[in-house]
Amino acid sequence: MLNPILSFSATRRMRSGKTLVILGAWLAVMLGTALLMMGRLLGPEVTVNGLRSGTNCYIVLMIVQFFLIVLISPAMTSGTVAGERERQTLELLLVTNTRSLRIVWGKAMDSFGMLCLLLVCGAPVMFLPAVAGAVTPLQVLEGELFLLVTAFAAVCVGMLASAVARTSMAGGILAYLFVFGIAVVTSLPLFLDYPQAVTDIVYDPRALAQLSPGAATAMIFPVLFLNPGYGLIALLHGQTRFLSSALQYQQTGRLLCSFNLMDRAGGERIALISSGAVLLLGLALLFLSAAFVRRRGFGGKRKG
Amino acid sequence: MLRLDKLTKQYGKFTALDGLSLEIADGQLHGFVGPNGAGKTTTMRIISTLLQPTSGTAEIDGVDVVRSGSKARKLIGYMPDFFGVYDSLKCWEYLDFYGRCYRLSAGERKQMADQLLDLVQLTEKRDAYVDSLSRGMKQRLCLARSLIHDPKLLILDEPASGMDPRARAEMKGILKTLRDMGKTVMISSHILPELSEMCDSLTILDHGHLVFSGSVEELSEKMNGNAPLDIRLQAGCGEETVERAVACLKELPFIREILQEETTLLRARLEGGEAETQQILRELVSRNIPVCDFHRAPMNLEKVFMEVTVDA
Ligand SMILES: Nc1ncnc2c1ncn2[C@@H]1O[C@H](COP(=O)(O)OP(=O)(O)OP(=O)(O)O)[C@@H](O)[C@H]1O
Ligand SMILES: [Mg+2]
Repeated sequence: MLNPILSFSATRRMRSGKTLVILGAWLAVMLGTALLMMGRLLGPEVTVNGLRSGTNCYIVLMIVQFFLIVLISPAMTSGTVAGERERQTLELLLVTNTRSLRIVWGKAMDSFGMLCLLLVCGAPVMFLPAVAGAVTPLQVLEGELFLLVTAFAAVCVGMLASAVARTSMAGGILAYLFVFGIAVVTSLPLFLDYPQAVTDIVYDPRALAQLSPGAATAMIFPVLFLNPGYGLIALLHGQTRFLSSALQYQQTGRLLCSFNLMDRAGGERIALISSGAVLLLGLALLFLSAAFVRRRGFGGKRKG
Repeated sequence: MLRLDKLTKQYGKFTALDGLSLEIADGQLHGFVGPNGAGKTTTMRIISTLLQPTSGTAEIDGVDVVRSGSKARKLIGYMPDFFGVYDSLKCWEYLDFYGRCYRLSAGERKQMADQLLDLVQLTEKRDAYVDSLSRGMKQRLCLARSLIHDPKLLILDEPASGMDPRARAEMKGILKTLRDMGKTVMISSHILPELSEMCDSLTILDHGHLVFSGSVEELSEKMNGNAPLDIRLQAGCGEETVERAVACLKELPFIREILQEETTLLRARLEGGEAETQQILRELVSRNIPVCDFHRAPMNLEKVFMEVTVDA
């Protein structure tokens, strides 16, 4: 049987006018970006510059959607459990024999479903660069899948905030703090010194050129895989040589160390591993959320 | 049906519920009375698995609510004192939703929802949005919701608060119907007389302590045994006569307390029943004290509630 929390949240979501507004705004941003980036492509001939702008359009669309997802989903999810706590409907749910995990899963899937809807509706715009021949349809699909995974993880972060907080407001604030915290913690390795053995190879162009993809992958700080932003850059780099000009092997610097390793390991491989890691992190957060649903929650005034 | 054993709940250092032991038999309509902050909601939330007791156990048909929470939830229908409803949801969908949360099949849900809407007289509101209902109607809908999975035990926390007198009367009717259906009902209220009219048994709680638990008859018996004795002497009989009467009463061992309510009205509290009352009258008359009126004031339940909760 379909999760009742999911189907009823979805019913209510579809009845509220907000959904249409969000969908409209999303499409407007996507189309606006595409027009801005690909204006030149509308001309009659296929030119190198045209192709370039097609590729850039794909990159910018990916980045814009990535940030929209990361910004929207915590807000979308953070009110779910906390909001029910605030409106005193949660207890009515908790006395039924629906397990906490089922509640959390249903609510997360409802938000995730909405994000899927946004991504699917935006997909035709995403395929414009492919139609222009700038990227392959398969690459666009990869990009969409990557965004789906990111959306799922972002929803899970919002879910945890929601399960912990007593009011939607507290949940929202907490969700953004979590997102910020995860971004900071998983970006730290970019600014850390790699071990001497690694830098010896990375800063030596010849040694770096001989490094196998597997070995390069193993050298990257594992925490970095939990950063969807790193995953996104890796994916775009793998697909379109995005940021290639910055990856000059002879240059040194901590940031470039991570980029050079990414280049050797292969961007798409990194993106895949990163997606897996992020997916697992999301699931772990969901289980953690379930453990908090039956507690009273904190932040905001106590009611009743 | 329901058995509480030394149930205790502490919020930090504050003890909201102190070793409450209680038993409710099958098919009883059990009233749960106490002033604000007595611990009624706390007890009911523990039974409904929403709150963990600090110590003690609560069992429903032998199922421990702490250890076998999900099993217990199937047996209980809980209606909280305060609750919210979802917006953008129609009445029948509301019931259907909770039915699905209890994993009922589509057929069962439809049948139960129709029956329950009929029971709480909301059939014509079937397709109305829940948040458009009046407060009393929402409460009735919430009652229907707590019955959707056909629980054996109903826990109702002040179900009639916020209802007009007519709706209260209807609520009583619904509760009697439920009892006739064989359900065990535990219902809390601040208003003892209202409960004693319809309940089979009662528990009175104050500051987390059990004050009384038993049938309504036992309660009024116990309370009338405690009723004070009013003795009115002849008007204008003089202070000396009153003093003699007081002295005479003081000699009797079962008199606990004597109050002079008015110049010639004495109120005595005693331990004992009719034999002792007779003896007092005999003593007074034999000493030539002019007794004009002599009776034990019958207690009404309002007074009982006040007395019981002050003494504790
Ligand atoms: N979450 C909590 N934290 C701290 N103290 C609490 C909490 N919940 C209840 N209490 C305290 O426990 C005591 C019992 O509260 P409870 O809600 O059970 O009373 P009640 O009998 O239902 O009262 P009312 O008739 O007002 O509904 C009160 O003194 C209350 O202040
Ligand atoms: Mg209460």
